[in-house]
Amino acid sequence: MSHSVQLDGIGMTFGSTRAVGDVSFTVQAGEFFSILGPSGCGKTTILRMIAGFLEPTEGRVLIGGRDMRGLGPNQRPTAMIFQSLALFPLMPVWENIAFGLEARGMGRAERRKRAEELLRLIALEGYGDRMPGELSGGQRQRVAIARALAVEPGVLLLDEPLSALDLKLRQHMRAELRGLQKRTGVTFIYITHDQSEALAMSDRVAVMSNGLLQQVATPRQLYDNPATPFVARFVGETNAITGQIGAVGGGMARIDTAMGPLRGRADPHLAVGQKATLYIRPEALMPGTGANTLHARVSRMDFEGAFALVHGQFPDGAALTAAVPSTRLSDAPAPGTDASFFFAPEHAVVLADA
Amino acid sequence: MTADRIFRGLFALYLLAFVAYLFAPLAIMSAAAFNTSRFPTVIPWQGTTLDWFSAMWADAAMWQALWTSAIVAVLVAAVALPVGTAAALVLTTLHARARSVAYAVMVSPLLTPGVVIGISTLILWRQVGVGGGIVLIVVAQTTFIICYVMLMVMARLQRFDRTQEEAALGLGASRAMVFRRVLLPFLRPALLASGGLAVLQSVENYNTTLFVRGFETPLTVFIATKVRTGLTPAVNALALVIIAATVIGAIAWEIARRRQVTARPRS
Repeated sequence: MSHSVQLDGIGMTFGSTRAVGDVSFTVQAGEFFSILGPSGCGKTTILRMIAGFLEPTEGRVLIGGRDMRGLGPNQRPTAMIFQSLALFPLMPVWENIAFGLEARGMGRAERRKRAEELLRLIALEGYGDRMPGELSGGQRQRVAIARALAVEPGVLLLDEPLSALDLKLRQHMRAELRGLQKRTGVTFIYITHDQSEALAMSDRVAVMSNGLLQQVATPRQLYDNPATPFVARFVGETNAITGQIGAVGGGMARIDTAMGPLRGRADPHLAVGQKATLYIRPEALMPGTGANTLHARVSRMDFEGAFALVHGQFPDGAALTAAVPSTRLSDAPAPGTDASFFFAPEHAVVLADA
Repeated sequence: MTADRIFRGLFALYLLAFVAYLFAPLAIMSAAAFNTSRFPTVIPWQGTTLDWFSAMWADAAMWQALWTSAIVAVLVAAVALPVGTAAALVLTTLHARARSVAYAVMVSPLLTPGVVIGISTLILWRQVGVGGGIVLIVVAQTTFIICYVMLMVMARLQRFDRTQEEAALGLGASRAMVFRRVLLPFLRPALLASGGLAVLQSVENYNTTLFVRGFETPLTVFIATKVRTGLTPAVNALALVIIAATVIGAIAWEIARRRQVTARPRS
């Protein structure tokens, strides 16, 4: 039932603005796939092209191997959940859920029965005759999901559906969406600007910036092996130390910085002398000195329970963030002092500057 | 303190004058329906009677005129509602430049004097052999009543959430189903209101109707003719009945609306 989605060099140009340029990737059938990026990066445009609300100006979309060119949104095996949910306010909940079945010509009694089954699935039994306006935000959310699932879509498209909810409900709905996806086996394509949402829920994530695809990878790969400076900075917290490539070899590179030579994992194609940046995660920095040592002036320490975030400045003015585990809090430098941090080279990534 | 009191006194006086200005003619006119005098007047009061109501009731020409007006009004509403709604739908999908041009063209009948609409309709249809009568009254009135429908539907459409349309299409609905199940229910209040307005506008129209009426005599023309041939308080009685019907209708509408609001507190 669930379908794969293949984007084959799609692009979208509005007037003189290029919203999306030459994006290709394939979403496997049954996968929970997220498209992550800041607002205006083109992710919603991509979703609307998959749904058929927009016809790409270049390239094509294939769903389940079938070319979708020339097919409108009502002819595609997709269903979409909108940011605003777009429930029909003048129809009771059950008619909302059964709307897609009505469009397929199913009889009223059968529609009602199917709607009740879906209400059970989303734990809203007995709410069928309420109006959408009488439900809470989380309940409306679930009705929107049920309405989309009712048509048994091969692909479910979700356009930041959780962004209007408060934090607690959002976390709850994340788990619920993920569970629903596993139970139904439907391909989910999920749009978000919230990187923790994308990392927590997805099998794979595509990161977008300025209409261009940056990287497609599992959340783990994205975090550990960012392919571009944008991904390194956008996904998770990071410390960026600029310099020049000094040596490359064995999957590692030496970068010469204002704080001396530092080593990290690197692409073997980097050229000596090239301007580059070393990215290192806050939790990979340890107080003390070692083979790769950084110096910084500590300005502030925020205790967050499991760890403390140490903030400061490197000599070149760049910001330092280090996460010191609570168990090692006695090693943490005091604010206002100069401190040293070291890291293992395999925890750092060196990328050529864009 | 005193200045405040003077101000409030003046304000009350103004309010009184305002209300009197609005309602005194109606009050005098209504009262005259009960005066036995042969002319519609309250001075001198010659005695209280309900005879003018029975006179009105017995006036076959009045019933004929009312019937003509009713048929015209229903036909006008039947044409103006779909055409006006279609115009509103087209206007809201057009882009800025084309939209302002089309808008100006479509509302221009509202700015054209009714007399001009009447005469020009008559002249145009004469060319193809259609003379004055019910058909031309409907055609002439519809040209400007469409504008009211269009403006009211447009005002409602501006509050329509377009993503609902996309959601419906995305769920597999045809364009026709989107219109019938999503857009039409949303427009219902505007359609009811503009339908009512179309009927009222049609019934009360005089200046346009006069030129295209042919041998028909709608209510406004009937009353105007009476003024020349001898007005009796039977016309006042008719007016009072119309006013009463309007007020009762408005109250009933409001009660129904409030019931609906309390039945669905949050929707």
